[in-house]
Amino acid sequence: MSAEHWRSLGELEESPESRAFREREFPEGASEPPEGVTRRTVLTLLGASAGAASLVACRRPEEHIVPYVEAPEQIMPGVARHYATTMPNGTSAYGLVVESHEGRPTKLEGNELHPASLGASSARVQAAVLDLYDPDRSQQVLKRGEPSSWTDFVAAWKERAKLHAADGGETLAIVATPSAAPTLARQLAAFQKAYPKARVVGYAPVSEANALAGVARAAGRALLPVHHLDKAKAILAIDADVLHADPEMIRHTRGFAGGRRVVAPGDAMNRLWSVEAVFSITGANADHRLRLPARLIPGFVAALAAELQKGGLALEAVTAPELPGLDKTWLHALAEDLLANRGASVIVAGPRQPAAVHAAVVALNAALGNVPATVEYREPTDALLPSPAAFAELGSALRDGKVKTLVVLGANPAYDAPADLDWKGAAAKAEELVHFGSHVDETGALASWHVPSAHFLESWGDARARCGTLSVVQPLILPLYGAKSAVELVGLLASGEDRPGYDLVQATWRGLLGEADFEKRWNRVLHDGVLPDSAQPGVKLELKPGTLGELAAATGGAGELELVFQACAKLEAGGNANNAWLHELPDAITKVTWDNPLLVSPATAAAKGLKDEDMVRLDVAGRSLELPIQRVPGLADGTLVLYLGYGRTKAGRVGTGVGFDAFRLRTGAAPDLVTDFKLMRTGERYDISQTQDHGSMEGRKLIREATLAHYKDEPKFANEKTPLFSLWAEHEYKKSPQWGMVIDLNSCTGCNACAVACQSENNVPVVGKDQVRRGREMAWLRIDRYFTGEPSDPTAAFQPVPCMQCENAPCEQVCPVAATVHDAEGLNAMVYNRCIGTRYCSNNCPYKVRRFNFFNYTKDTPKVLKLLNNPDVTVRSRGVMEKCTYCVQRLSAAKIDARLGGRELKDGDARTACQQACPAEAIQFGDLVDLQSKVRKARENDRTYALLEDLNTRPRTTYQARLRNPHPTLAKAEPAGGEGPHA
Amino acid sequence: MAQIFPQSANRLPLVVALAALVLPPAVVGGVWYYGSPRFTDVGYQPVQPVPYSHKLHAGEMQIDCRYCHVSVEKSAVANVPPTQVCMNCHLLVARNAESLAPIRDSLKSGSPMRWLRVHKVGEYAYFNHRVHVGAGVGCVSCHGHVEEMDVVHQVEPLSMGWCLDCHRDPKPNLRPLSEITNMTWKPARDPEARERQIAGLRPVHPPTDCSGCHR
Repeated sequence: MSAEHWRSLGELEESPESRAFREREFPEGASEPPEGVTRRTVLTLLGASAGAASLVACRRPEEHIVPYVEAPEQIMPGVARHYATTMPNGTSAYGLVVESHEGRPTKLEGNELHPASLGASSARVQAAVLDLYDPDRSQQVLKRGEPSSWTDFVAAWKERAKLHAADGGETLAIVATPSAAPTLARQLAAFQKAYPKARVVGYAPVSEANALAGVARAAGRALLPVHHLDKAKAILAIDADVLHADPEMIRHTRGFAGGRRVVAPGDAMNRLWSVEAVFSITGANADHRLRLPARLIPGFVAALAAELQKGGLALEAVTAPELPGLDKTWLHALAEDLLANRGASVIVAGPRQPAAVHAAVVALNAALGNVPATVEYREPTDALLPSPAAFAELGSALRDGKVKTLVVLGANPAYDAPADLDWKGAAAKAEELVHFGSHVDETGALASWHVPSAHFLESWGDARARCGTLSVVQPLILPLYGAKSAVELVGLLASGEDRPGYDLVQATWRGLLGEADFEKRWNRVLHDGVLPDSAQPGVKLELKPGTLGELAAATGGAGELELVFQACAKLEAGGNANNAWLHELPDAITKVTWDNPLLVSPATAAAKGLKDEDMVRLDVAGRSLELPIQRVPGLADGTLVLYLGYGRTKAGRVGTGVGFDAFRLRTGAAPDLVTDFKLMRTGERYDISQTQDHGSMEGRKLIREATLAHYKDEPKFANEKTPLFSLWAEHEYKKSPQWGMVIDLNSCTGCNACAVACQSENNVPVVGKDQVRRGREMAWLRIDRYFTGEPSDPTAAFQPVPCMQCENAPCEQVCPVAATVHDAEGLNAMVYNRCIGTRYCSNNCPYKVRRFNFFNYTKDTPKVLKLLNNPDVTVRSRGVMEKCTYCVQRLSAAKIDARLGGRELKDGDARTACQQACPAEAIQFGDLVDLQSKVRKARENDRTYALLEDLNTRPRTTYQARLRNPHPTLAKAEPAGGEGPHA
Repeated sequence: MAQIFPQSANRLPLVVALAALVLPPAVVGGVWYYGSPRFTDVGYQPVQPVPYSHKLHAGEMQIDCRYCHVSVEKSAVANVPPTQVCMNCHLLVARNAESLAPIRDSLKSGSPMRWLRVHKVGEYAYFNHRVHVGAGVGCVSCHGHVEEMDVVHQVEPLSMGWCLDCHRDPKPNLRPLSEITNMTWKPARDPEARERQIAGLRPVHPPTDCSGCHR
C-alpha cells in the first residue's frame, strides 16, 4: 500500500496559482525590488556607487588596529570563550553555554550538564541572543515618560515605602511573571514580610494554571508535574504539544526520540497517541492522532477512563458522555496500549484543557502505575506560580481604588490581560504604576515609573529547572543600556536598599551551599552551570476522591464552531514579538511567516465559503477582530485556531503592527476556548507570506516512511536501487576527513531549533514579510513539511533540508566564474568574493537550497546588532549567492585545534550548529571515511537514502527513512506504509 | 581646393597598426605589474601615532616578538599589545620622552591607541596566525626582517597567489618550532641537514581549496 505525500492544499488541488508558483525558479516578481524603490533608482544608485568605488580604489583604505588599554584577564582577541549561564523560562529554566567573542555573547548552546537542556536547545533559546542586542530595548528609567534615573527612582521608592510601611502594604501590589528562582523568591518573601498585607500575584496570559489547579484538585495541593517521556513506551498527549510548545520541550524531545531510535529491525519503538483540535508538532509526530474539538476533550478523557475501567483498571465510577464521531476501535486500542504498558506509559494534558481534565489525568496516571516512573509531582520550591484568580481579584481591587502602588515585573497586562477585565482602566486608578520591563511596551507607556529590565545575559540571578535542579544566571556582558535585574529591583522594594545583584545572589547561595568551602563550591557552580544533585524528587501522592466526576460537566456542547486561543510557539504570548528571527521562521505546520491568520480546517472553510487569505470578522461578546484565514489540513472540523502574541502596538520596530491582536477577544471567563461567537466574511483579501510552496520538488520520493512492522519484514524498504552510472570517471574521495551528514527523519520532530541555530551561527539575514512573499527568504536550512493521507485527516512529516554538498554538484557545473567549487573534503564551497550573481547555480540546484542576496539586507543593521555577528563568518552583501557550508568555520577550528593539540581529528570534534542544537539528536555529522564514526554507521544503516538519488548528484547529506509504530489492531485500517510514492 | 588630409595622414594606418600591436600588451602588462599587490601593497609604510621602532626593540634589545604579540600562538590574530604592555617598561625607561606622550595619555585617559594596520590579507579570507606558527612558519617569512625596520613596512604582497605559492610547497618556509621568532635563523643549505631541521615538525598539508580560507 502506499501513501501520497503532498505539501499544500494548493498543490493537492492543482490550483493554477500553485502550479505557476512551483514552475518558476523564483516566484513572479522575485527580481523586482521591494516597494518604494523602483528598478530605475536602483540602477542609478548602482551607477553612482560604482563611480564612487572606482575613485576610492586608487588608494589603500586606512585601517586601524585598536588594542585594549589594559587587557582584561583571560580575554584573547580572536579566541571565543564559553561560559555557563541559565535562561529562566517561567517556572523552569534552560541551562546554557554561551559563546563570547571579546566580551560579546554571540551564540547560545545548551549545557550538557543541565537536565532541561541536555546540550541541546530550541528555536526560542537560539533566538534569545538576538533580544540582548535589540536596539528597541528601553534605555533609561522614565518618570511619566520623561527621562529620569535609577537614583531618582530609588529615592522616590524610599518615599513611597514610608507610606506603605504605615499601612502594612495594604495598598501595595506586585504583579510578576511566574518564576522559580531562589533569590527572587527570597526577595519576594522579604517583601511580603515587610509588607504583610501587600498582594504578590503571579501572572502570565498563558500558563500552567489549569494544570496546577487540576493537580491541586486531585492531590490536595498545587504540584508541578514532571514527565519522563524517555521511560514511557506509550505516550498519550491530550491537547498537549509536549514536543514543541512545552517549556520542557528539549527534555521531552530527547526522551521521545530516544524511545524511537531504531538501528536494526529488531529494535522497539515507543508509541505516541495524540488527541487534539489544533494540529501541533506533537500531533504530527503521533503514531495515532485523533482530531477532536477542544471542548469535547474532557468527554474523551471520561470515555477513556471508562474504557480503562472496562479493561480492568481500578478507577472510580465515571460516566462517559456520548461523543459524536469517536471511533470505538481507536479508543479500545489506546486503552489496551496503556494497560499493556502500566508503569511505562504516560498521559499528558495540555494547558488549554480545564482543571477537571488535569485532575483526571493525575488519577489515570496514578492508577496506571506511572507515578513516579514516568511522571512525578514536585513541590514547587522557590516558585511564584501563576494565579488567574488572584490577578482578577487584583483587577477589582484596583478598580475599587484599594491599590495605590502597583509594581509590574516583566508582565505586560495592558496588552495581554483578559479583555473583560478592562485592565488599563483599572490600572489608571493606581497612584503609582511602576513598570519593570525590557521595552517601553503597552504597559510601560501607562506607567508612572518605567525601569528597564536587564536581559538574562546581562544579569545575576538563579533558577530552578522543572525537576528542581538549581543553576545560576551568570552575566556575560554588563547591561548594554544600564538596565537592572529583577533581583535588584525586588531587593530594593523589599528592603529599601539598592544592592548589586551579585551580592544578593551570592547571599542566597551561601545559604544553599553552606559557608564551608563556599568560594570553591560557588565557583564550581558558576563553571559547570548547575549544582549537581539538586533535583528534587516527586512527592508521594494521596489522591482525593471524585477526580473523574467533573469531566462530564467540563465537556462542551454539540455546537458547530469553536474558537481556540493558542500561544504562538515562536512569539509565545507576545513576549518575543520584537524578535525578527522568530517572525521570519516559518510556523512548523502552516509555514506562515510574519503573521497569525485564523486557522481553519479545509472542510469548515468550504462550508463557510472561505478561501485562503480571505478576511473574516470574529465577533465575541461585543468585541470584534478582523483577520485573514488560512486553511490547515488536519484541524478538527469546526475548530478555529487563533494565535496569541501578535498585533502588538508597542513592541518595537520589528514587532509593532505585525499580525492581529487576539487578546482583544480573550476574556477571563473563557481564556482557552469560546463557542459563542460569530464568523463573517468581510469580502476583503489579505496577503500572507508562506514558505510552503517555495522550491517544491515536484512529487518525487522525498520522504520515505513505513511502519515498524513493515521495516522488520523489509529492512531496505527505503533503498531505491537506482542504477547509477556516470559519463566520466568520477573523483574519488578517500582522504580523511570526508564530511557527511545523516538526518534521521524518525527522530526529527520538526521543532525548528536547527533552523534558528543556523541563522545565529551563520549571520543569515532577515528579509521581512514582503521579501518572503517574493520567495527571497535566506534560510540556509529549511524544514519541509509534508502531509500524508486525506486532506481532512492527514499525518505530517518533517524534513530539514540543508545543502546536500553533492559530490557531483550541479551548481558547480554551471557557475561561469567558479565561485562554487568542490574541496578535497567533499564540501561544496561557496566563494562569495568570486560570485557575480548570475543565479545559474540556484537554477540548477535540484534541492533548491541556494539563497541569493537580492539586496544588501544588512546595510541598515543598527550598530548594536552588529555586535551579534559571528566574527568567523562573512557578512554577505547584495548580488551574492550563499548557502549552507556545513559550518565550515567550525570544521576549520576543529581541525586546527586537533592539529595544534598534537592529535588526530576524532569523531565529535567538529559539530555543525544544527547538529548541536537538535534536541532529538536527529542529525549526525562527521567523517565518512572513519569507519567508527557515528555518521558512517548511520549512513550504512538500512533506512538511509539520498534525496533525488536518481540524479546521480551523490549527496553527502542523506536521510534515514521515517518509521511509524501503529497499534496492531489499528494498523490494518491504516496505510501499512512502504515507500510512499508521491503525487 | 586644399587637400582634406595632410600628407602625414598617409602614415596613419601604420601608426594605428603599431598602436594595435603595442598598446594592448602595454595595458595588460601595466595592469599586471602596477595593479598587483606586489606593486601596490609592498612597501606600504604608514606613519604610526607613536614612532615605535621595531629595530630598537626587537633588533637591538632582542625582545622576543611574543612579549608584545602574545596571542600569536593561541589565536587567529596576533594582537597588537595593550597600552599597559608599553608602560611595563616605560614606567621606568624613557619616562618623559615626548614621543611617548600618546601612550601615557592613553593609559591615563583610558582611550585606546589607534595604530595603523600594515599587514592585511585580502578581504573574505580568514587567516589564522596560530596554525601557521604551529606548523613551523616563522614570523620573518611573511613579515620580513622587522627587526631591521625603524618604521614597519610591508615586505611581501600578501596576495592570494603568494599565499598559494607556499601552500602548494610549504617546505622552504618551515623551521623548527623553537626558531619561530628567531629573525636571523637560516635554513641549512645542505639538503640532509635541512631535512633534519624540520624533522621534528608534524607533516604539513596546507589546504589549497577555496574553503581553506574563504567562508
